Formats: sequence, structure tokens, C-alpha cells
Amino acid sequence: MNHRDTENTEKIKKIAGRLLAEKRVDAVIGFRPGTVSLISAPTVARTEEEAAGLHWDRFCGVNLANYLPKREDKIAIVAKGCDSRSIVGLVAENQIKRENLYIIGIPCTGMIDRAKVISLAESPEVELTENGEEVTIKADGKQSTVALSDILQDNCQGCLHRNPAVFDELVGKKVEEAGGSDINAAVAKVEAMSQDERWNHFDQMFSTCIRCYACRNACPLCYCEQCFADDSQPQWCGKSTNPVDVKIFHIFRAYHCAGRCTDCGACVRACPVGINVRELTGKLEKEVRELFGCEAGMSLEAIPPLGVYLEKDPQEFIK
Amino acid sequence: MAWQPKIVAFLCNWCSYAGADLAGVSRMQYPPNVRVIRIPCSGRMNPKFILSALKNGADGILISGCHPGDRHYLSGNYFARRKFALFRSLLDYMGIEDGRVHFSWVSAAEGERFAEVISEVTEAVRAIGPSRRLNKKVI
Amino acid sequence: MMKEMVIDKKDIAGLLTELTGEMTVIAPVRKGDNLLFGPVSDGSEAALDSVNTRLAPKDALFPQCEKMMTFTTDRQAEDAHTMQDVSEPDKQVIFGVRPCDAAGFLILDKVFNQGGAEYEDTYYLRRREKTTVVGLGCNKPLSTCFCASFGGSPFGTDGLDILLTDVGDKYVVTVLTDKGEARLKGKSGPSEADPTSIEKAGQIKESAVKSVKAGIATDKIKGKATMELFDDPCWDTLYETCMNCGVCTYSCPTCHCFDIQDEAIDTEGVRMRNWDSCMFSLFTRHGSGHNPRPTKKDRFRQRFLHKFKYFQDNFDTVACVGCGRCIRLCPVNIDVRQVVEEMNR
Repeated sequence: MNHRDTENTEKIKKIAGRLLAEKRVDAVIGFRPGTVSLISAPTVARTEEEAAGLHWDRFCGVNLANYLPKREDKIAIVAKGCDSRSIVGLVAENQIKRENLYIIGIPCTGMIDRAKVISLAESPEVELTENGEEVTIKADGKQSTVALSDILQDNCQGCLHRNPAVFDELVGKKVEEAGGSDINAAVAKVEAMSQDERWNHFDQMFSTCIRCYACRNACPLCYCEQCFADDSQPQWCGKSTNPVDVKIFHIFRAYHCAGRCTDCGACVRACPVGINVRELTGKLEKEVRELFGCEAGMSLEAIPPLGVYLEKDPQEFIK
Repeated sequence: MAWQPKIVAFLCNWCSYAGADLAGVSRMQYPPNVRVIRIPCSGRMNPKFILSALKNGADGILISGCHPGDRHYLSGNYFARRKFALFRSLLDYMGIEDGRVHFSWVSAAEGERFAEVISEVTEAVRAIGPSRRLNKKVI
Repeated sequence: MMKEMVIDKKDIAGLLTELTGEMTVIAPVRKGDNLLFGPVSDGSEAALDSVNTRLAPKDALFPQCEKMMTFTTDRQAEDAHTMQDVSEPDKQVIFGVRPCDAAGFLILDKVFNQGGAEYEDTYYLRRREKTTVVGLGCNKPLSTCFCASFGGSPFGTDGLDILLTDVGDKYVVTVLTDKGEARLKGKSGPSEADPTSIEKAGQIKESAVKSVKAGIATDKIKGKATMELFDDPCWDTLYETCMNCGVCTYSCPTCHCFDIQDEAIDTEGVRMRNWDSCMFSLFTRHGSGHNPRPTKKDRFRQRFLHKFKYFQDNFDTVACVGCGRCIRLCPVNIDVRQVVEEMNR
């Protein structure tokens, strides 16, 4: 049984139904209840009947912006803070036209990390009930209570922009902007290690990578027709699980998202072997914030940080 | 034979490469470990080249361009500066040793300075030893 | 030739350690939060107390990356410009395989061992004949398990040389083949089975079989014409939320597509075979640049038609064993059971 947010669910159903009835849009991308516990499934509603099946809860973590690149139809999309910033990024990079979009913004107080819940419950068959700041987890005849904040996704815990940056209509009221935790927590942990320790840490972390590219395909900003990883003339990184090739793929994918990544956590959620890719993408997100004072996707007018420069950009590392 | 560092230097055509030319024409001495790759501008620099060089066994990498304010293509090096800052930070964070990847601004008139930079880079790489971490020849 | 024995749970680690002395032992191991199949050097590393592993054990027979040949272009070398075969794989035992995954091996056999004049994959077969498969029955199938839809069962014996049943403090060891018997010969752990344990095993099996949900029906699919299924309008909406991420193919016990590539650094090269996925856009791109499956819809449809229609037409069995991994791991909750229900209308 998923935790349900009936208030927002009803609001989204109404908005979607109205947009479709008025023919403002051809389709609404939102969520429906999942077929297994702990996940709500993305869905496309094209009729008022389908709109009545839409849903919202704390398992709507998927970044729906992933479905936008190259679309030509008029589309409404339910967008959390991080999703809305990805949408801004896609518009800025000419992957979708703003006038074709109707953004149903929804303020978000965090999505539950199903991997954390399954790990705590020691089983994927979980019944979860939310009681304010606490959550009861039932599985396998056992029951436990944990703080909600403990089972939220890492990126949600440190989120700085819980309200959508851009929207055409807002579901409900805005919430307090910051999630409360340190957004740099995951990265800070690694930064505190020595250089050798960091190398060993990443060596270990990427040793289970199976080059499935789920992280890349789940990312809304990885939309290249041909990814650098698939280039063969020249071949920048081989296709096997050779540790050098695996690291080159991840280093370069993280770098490709520099200044564009909105820390939505799609990469981590998609990884079938639970690699915390955010430890790499998060470092670049932090550097862009601290070195250039930029946060990706906050405004449609802003030029991406690697598309501008300042006379006084840092260069103490250059001889 | 004792190990000799292999340094790959990406030099922008209009300043750093010309500076290297000047060093050569002026018969200035500098370590012979460097292999030069000429790029039209430091803005052309792509992190893929750095990773590729490391993968193929380069022990050290130098990227050198025009001084800010003094560039052929007006702003290439300004954009490059931001990219370099991010990528360098990422490599350090991954655990690639300090001293593997270097950046410099060297102008066409700075032949002597070019020789100095090469010596500095070569010694820095010599001090940290052969590159093993992203070297596909050994892994 | 079935023989029932028992082994105390505390003796399993010892048995595995003994086996490591004779061959590679592959068992479920914990890597961080993951349960994955991997080689163990000591029996205590094996984790047999949990639900099924994240990824299927097909890697043990059909590795993610497999070296096929090596070559050198160094003119000084004796064998320059000649492909050299790689060394023979070691003998191995895959321990703790769930019956669905073992049934998956049989499906892989159909592909890689088509016999005689047809395709026979040397690399797969060399490994296959040196492999013993020791299964572990599922006392508590998950809600995402649907092995029963394809003639499987939580205590099925297809594809297994030995089947273990967890009866609390012991395992009942059902020896199914000569290979299985040979593995246990002379080992200290197993002893003759007692009637109590055998009875308990029977009860556990009965209750587990009852709890597996029916899942899906695929009976109508075989009868449908290929083009009728291909052109069915259901595909227009089913594919929409798929991200083509490939997780389903990589975790599936029966997916078997691969890509062969030569990689070289300087003068040393290797021909490798790596897993590939029909979900990737480059999967069917021709050398000319033409791609017969250019859109997500084409690729999504292909996966399900291959598994449930083409494979059935070619090999008389559906290429799915009901392990449920794709359902549990899909980041957008695409449920194979829902898709097949549409196909079977």
C-alpha cells in the first residue's frame, strides 16, 4: 500500500481533466499508482477518463522531463522543483519549445527512496504508512518505525529548490524552499578523504558497474542522438567493464552534465546495482554553484554557466 | 632503462605553440619528454583528449593557451578557463594525483617561459611516478 | 535418479570452501546493498538467506565481458597478426540458483546450442559443460514472481543438478543428476536425509507453490499472426513511458544479445564480446547509417515480441521465466505482466 497524498492527487486530476477537456494540450504526463509497492509509474493521459486515473504521492520520484526532448505535440507535465529546472534546461538547449509546454508545477517535500526502505525492511514487499514526521514499515511479519527524513532520497534531503522554478499552474501552495539537510553532504564525505582514499573509494564504487547505461538513459539531459560512449572513431572509452573504461564513461558523463544537472537523482534511482552516481555529479553541481554562483535551470532567461565567462573567473591553478 | 615521463602538451596555435617555436628557434634547452599536439585555441580543448591521453599511457598532460585579454579568437580561453577549472576539480576529486594535469598561459613571445613551464611539468610528473590510475595499458 | 540428503546450515560454508579447492565457486554475495552472484574464496562469503539476487546468474555462463581472442601487431612477435584463442574456462559450480534462473539457463541453451549445422556458441558451451548448477528453492515467493505462468515452480528442478530446500536449521539436498552426485562425493557435510526433514520440505514446497500468483497467460499469442501482433495499436501507448534504459535486459536471466568489438592499445589487442541491449538505439543501426528500429516504440515492441512471440515460434517456449526482476528494477514501473496481458487479448 503506497502512502497516498489524496489532496494533491485530486488537484492534479482536476487540472489535467480541465486541460484535456479544453483541448489546451494533447496529453498530460503524470503518474499513476504502481503495480508494485514503493513506486508510482509515469503515465500519459490523453482523455478525461485517463486523467481521472492520475495520482500523486511520495513515490513519484521519476523526473518526467526525460520524456520531453524532441516532442512536437502540446503537452502538460507534472513537475517538481528539480523536474522544472530540467525542463528549463531542455528549453534553453532547444530540445522542446516552451510554447508547447504547460507546466503543472507541484511543490515537493521529498520523495521516498525505495532502496532505503527495502534495505531497512529486508524485503521488497513492503507496506508503508506515513504518520506526520514518522513512517511505519511493515514487511515479512515485522514492523518498524523510522523518521520520514531518514528514508527520503539523498538529493531530496538537501534540496534547495523544492518549489518549481517555472510553472504555468501551481498545485497547492508553495512550501519552504530548503530541505534542511546539507546539499553537499554526499560530496563532502568524499572530499574529506585523502587523494589515495578517494581513488580507492571510486575504484570500489564503480567495480559493480555493468555498463547498462541506465544512468545515462534516465537523465533528462542526456539526449544526444549518439552518446560519446558509442563513438567508435575514435573510441573514447571501450565498451567492456574494464575499470579504466568504466571510470572514463562516468567521469565524462558527469562532466557533460556540469552546469546542467539539477540533482533530481534519476541516475541513482535507475542504477540496477545501486551505484551512488550522485557522488560524482554532485561534485560538479557544487563546484558550479561555488565557483560560478550558478544553479542550473532556475530561469529561462539565464545563459548556462559554461556559455558565459567573467573576467575574474578563478585561475589560480593556471601557471 | 630508467622510466622517463611521457608528457603530452596541448598547445594553442597562436600563442603557446608559437612560444614553443620561439624556444626552439632560440636554442633553449628543455626536457625532451614532451609530445606536442597543436590545437587552434585552448577553447578547442576537450576533456575527452585528457582522458584519452591518460588512457593511452601519458604520465603527464599540459594544456596551454593565450593569456586572458590577449587571445586570437577573442574569448576562447575565457570559456576554456571555466571548463578547465571544473574538470581539474573533478579529476582531483576522483583521486588523480596532483601533478598529472597542468594548465598554463604562455604567449608567443615567451619562449623562455615555455621552456620553464615544460621543465616544471616534467619534474612534477617525475616526482609522482608513472601514471597507473587511468592507464589502460596496465589495467 | 533422485537421492535425498541433508546438510546442516552451519556446514554449508564448509562444503563451499571444500568445493573452492576443486573449482570456481559462484554464489550470491553481498556487495554493499546488493545481492549479486560472484566467485567466493571462502564459503562464509555466500549469502543464502535472502530473496533472489539483483542480477541473474547468467553472467556465470555468458559473461558480461568475455575475451574471445587476443592478437598483437608487433612485428617482432612470433604470432604477429594471428588471432590467439583464450584459455579454457575453469570448472565451476553455481550455488544458490533459484529454479527460475535455472530454467533461464535452459532457454540460453536453446539459443547458444542449436546443434549441428546451426549455431553452436563455443564460448558458452565450453563453460556450460564445465558447470554444475546447485539450486535453492524459494520458500517465500515474492508478489512479483510468476514462474508458474511458464510451467515453472518455486521448487522446480529443470536445469538443476542439485536442489536445496531450506527447512529451518538444515537444507534437504535433492541430488538430481550424476554431475550433482559427483560434486558431493567425499564431502563431509551432507548425510542421509531423515524423514522429518523430508516431510517438512514437502510442506514448504506445497505452501510455496500455492503462493505463487498465476501471473500471465500467453496461450493466445502463439496463434496470432506475427503482423497482427506487430501492428496492434496497443504498442502506441504501451511504450510511452519506457526510458530505453536497458535495466530489464541486463537483469533478465534469458536476454542474450551481445556485441563483438576489437579493442587495441598500441600493438596489443583483444576481441571482446559484451552484453548489448535491444533497448539501445544503436543496437540495430546498420553500417550504412540506416536504423530499422529508429524509435522507442519500435524497440519496446521488439523486446516483447521477441520474448513472447518470435521465440515461441522458433523454439516452442516463451523466453521468460517469471523471475520478476524487470518488474522490481524498472525505474518507471513498466510491468511485463501488463504488457503481455495486452498482447494476449
